[in-house]
Amino acid sequence: MSGNPAAQDLPPKGGFPAFKYERNLPKRGPSGVAMFAICGGIMAYGWYKLHYALGERHELQREKMWARIHVTPLLIAEADRDEYRRRHAAVEREKAIMKDVPGWVPGQSVYNGKRYVPDTIANIPLHQQAGFKKD
Amino acid sequence: MVNPGYRHFKGEDWVDPTPPPASLPAVEEVGSTRAPLNSASYFIGSVCSEYNEDFMLCKNESRSPEHCLLEGRKVTRCAIDVLQKIQANCRDQFRAHWQCLDANNQEFAQCRAPEKTYNRCLFAALGWKKAIPDAPADRSLVYE
Repeated sequence: MSGNPAAQDLPPKGGFPAFKYERNLPKRGPSGVAMFAICGGIMAYGWYKLHYALGERHELQREKMWARIHVTPLLIAEADRDEYRRRHAAVEREKAIMKDVPGWVPGQSVYNGKRYVPDTIANIPLHQQAGFKKD
Repeated sequence: MVNPGYRHFKGEDWVDPTPPPASLPAVEEVGSTRAPLNSASYFIGSVCSEYNEDFMLCKNESRSPEHCLLEGRKVTRCAIDVLQKIQANCRDQFRAHWQCLDANNQEFAQCRAPEKTYNRCLFAALGWKKAIPDAPADRSLVYE
């Protein structure tokens, strides 16, 4: 070993490449603040559109409601006339049937109050008429 | 008329054929289906507002049908009058609008095109204008 010159390990020609000790995070895409701002912008636009859409829907519903409100008196008047006619006919029939019973008041309400209570049972005339035959 | 599932239960059996008492003044019924009434509703509401309000105030006094027969006749006559005026002046536009309503489930929003010509015709012929009460002033009208 004495005559043998030391074979020293040497760096490669040009030296070793630089040692990477710093963290290397290349920039990818927009920053967090930018993404937050973009998402916020999209949401703000959505809420803005929704605000107007809800307002419009509300107006459309109001339009339908008022269309109904305007014809309501007409419908009630027509139904009232029919109800009055039927009730009148029923009382007339009752009068004819109960004419022999003394003290009978035709069409008398079963309640003591003055509030109007519609008939709960439909008064059907046909089976009470003369000549009615059930098929 | 026979309802499904009620074959034994004929609708005719429930019709009372008795005419109204002679003491009652005769009135023609409107006899219109939903779509023409819907189409004319805003004009019935604006032209007949006095009769309608009178009738509803009367109904507020008593719900009995015989309490408001007089007011009800006025309401019906006024509505018939409005419908006849519409028919006389804007028959085709009216028909286009109510047939559109009939085909679109009575949705006004689906029939804006025929409604515009109909409203314009009525305004030109009779000066009637559609207006939804309490519409927000800061927005454009939903029917224009």
